[in-house]
Amino acid sequence: MDKIESLKKLLDPKKIAVIGASKSKDKVGGIIFRRLLGSRRRLFPVNPKETAIEGHKFSPDIQSLPDDIDLAIITISAEAAVKSVEMCIEKKIPNYIIVAGGFGEVGAEGRLLEEKLTKLAKDNSVNILGPNSLGIFLPDENIDTIFVEHGDKSLDRNGQVACIVQSGSVGVEALGYASNTGYGMRAFVGLGNKCDLDEIDFLNYFSLDKKTNCLGFYLENIEKGRQFLTIARETARKKPVVVLKAGRTHTAASAVSSHTGKLAGSDNVISGALKQFGIQRVFDDEEFCDATKVLSMLPGAPGNRVAILTAAGGYGVMCTDFIENMDKRAKLLMAILSEATKRKIKDATFSFTACENPVDITASADDMMFSKSLDALIEDDGVDIIICIAFFAPPGITENLIDIIADKIKKSDKPIIVFTKYGPFTDNSIKNLYYAGVAAYPSVGRAVRAARFLVERTKIKQRLDQEA
Amino acid sequence: MEKKIEQWFESIGDKKHPDEFDAKYLVKLYSIKVPCARRLGPEDIFDVEGIDPPYVLKVCSSNILHKTEFQGVVLNNDNESVQANFKELQKRFPNENILVENQSSYMGPEFIIGIIKDPALGHAVMVGAGGVLTELYKDTAFRLAPCSVTEAMDMIDELVLSPVFENFRGMTLDKKKLAITISQVARLAHDLGDRLSQLDINPIVFSEGEWIALDVKIVFE
Repeated sequence: MDKIESLKKLLDPKKIAVIGASKSKDKVGGIIFRRLLGSRRRLFPVNPKETAIEGHKFSPDIQSLPDDIDLAIITISAEAAVKSVEMCIEKKIPNYIIVAGGFGEVGAEGRLLEEKLTKLAKDNSVNILGPNSLGIFLPDENIDTIFVEHGDKSLDRNGQVACIVQSGSVGVEALGYASNTGYGMRAFVGLGNKCDLDEIDFLNYFSLDKKTNCLGFYLENIEKGRQFLTIARETARKKPVVVLKAGRTHTAASAVSSHTGKLAGSDNVISGALKQFGIQRVFDDEEFCDATKVLSMLPGAPGNRVAILTAAGGYGVMCTDFIENMDKRAKLLMAILSEATKRKIKDATFSFTACENPVDITASADDMMFSKSLDALIEDDGVDIIICIAFFAPPGITENLIDIIADKIKKSDKPIIVFTKYGPFTDNSIKNLYYAGVAAYPSVGRAVRAARFLVERTKIKQRLDQEA
Repeated sequence: MEKKIEQWFESIGDKKHPDEFDAKYLVKLYSIKVPCARRLGPEDIFDVEGIDPPYVLKVCSSNILHKTEFQGVVLNNDNESVQANFKELQKRFPNENILVENQSSYMGPEFIIGIIKDPALGHAVMVGAGGVLTELYKDTAFRLAPCSVTEAMDMIDELVLSPVFENFRGMTLDKKKLAITISQVARLAHDLGDRLSQLDINPIVFSEGEWIALDVKIVFE
């Protein structure tokens, strides 16, 4: 079977066996089984010591499972997990998720067990995700095998980011936290130790997946580096690819005598390579979520000239500083507004409005003034991106401003990024903006950084299109 | 090209650290300009016929990687001083070859172009602010080899030094030609294959309308 087709069965299985399922709500097998109960798929718990769980009869062993299981989720410990994979293979089960750790990451003995799994996968043409995998979560397919807490419902709504992470906990913690402010996830895949399936398999899969419009990877090692880069470049022609590469590799220092070798020392080579292949690099989980969120919600930026619209003078000044900072990712410029634009804004707001960029319409502004000023900035040919500093505390500003901004984003090619704060309600405001289709951030620095991701993306796209 | 490289590899004395003269011959095969030079052995008669003054004298040995630190370089020799300085250098390094080169005058800053073999990704090419302080500046950009001219242009744009190509203080440095050179160096690495461990062209400078490699160092596996 074609690899993509076979992965479809892993990610959207009809019949699932849970090896080590349990009535106990404290056991991994118990948590995962209960999580799957909401998935409307046929479930087959396997445990010789138990009889029934939530209306499902336990199979005492793997041999007594039906013949057409699509996926086995193995929740038992390392050594037993390998044995059960062997037995499942006799039942011709094509896909596996192995949750347990205790493999390559703990030393020589574990490494031997992991090598056994690699060989089993290869010899029998089955897919093994893990071991040490936190599993998969695809909201649209209504499948979730993650046994730890991982965020609220905002993850569930029409998300388009595929997150493929080597470390499950980095992935779930990042996304769980991002979901407080709204984050659209298409898929979560915990790669774990990559005994068989690795980042390249899922890169291929989600490149072609119609519901995915942005791919994000957390990786510690890229064994097949050149292959990954080459395929990622093909993907980047169509969809943004973001990589958080942790763990800096050092070229054996003793062997380096050249200047070049000493300068390559940290991870400059990987940074250069990612750029060369059109991949956007990030350095921590917050940046990962910020980048994938904006890249998934907005199509890029026609240029790098930014206009700031603010109701709070201080933040406008601060935002200007961030825009003018040197940054290797992408250079931003403060837009120079036309006289016509300034006139329109003055007419719509106050005669005293400061109309040089940043445009400060003050805390006396209301929704309509924001709306008309945004229109003026969108219509200005000298503006490519708008950062809107929106506050909901002033009396003239209501929640309607959210829909006003969302509506303008839908009708314009120019991206609008929002920076907002609302005291203890900040996260909720940002989440409401997200639901309306607006990418918003709770700090000036993060909003400006999001603008850089869009400019960087457009430059990558243009370069790759030229090469094609 | 493959045949020329193999011939060159056969011809060189030290297969791990080729000396500067041999290293420069290799980059010349890739259309990278090097100064007009002669390599003189310990027994050779002094001869600068065909090389224009001023001259630079350098000890040329696989054993001495950092010539300057061992006082193995004498700059600014004219026709009068060159022979005496040559003998002086010979006395300091009695068993080594000496390189006599035309000393190029140049415009603008020194650059470095290099190659390193990354254990996971293979050969990478680097461009950066060059000279003896290159490791302090750390103003560099990397790409994997092979590397197109367009990609090399992006590398140059990443450098803090990049504004020197925008008519900075009246300098007219050719950015495209530097990018072509970077791309050629990446090709050289690709052609040499796995045996190439490291390469430094440092400095490379802009002289009379061309980029010229003033020093080249190669380390093989």
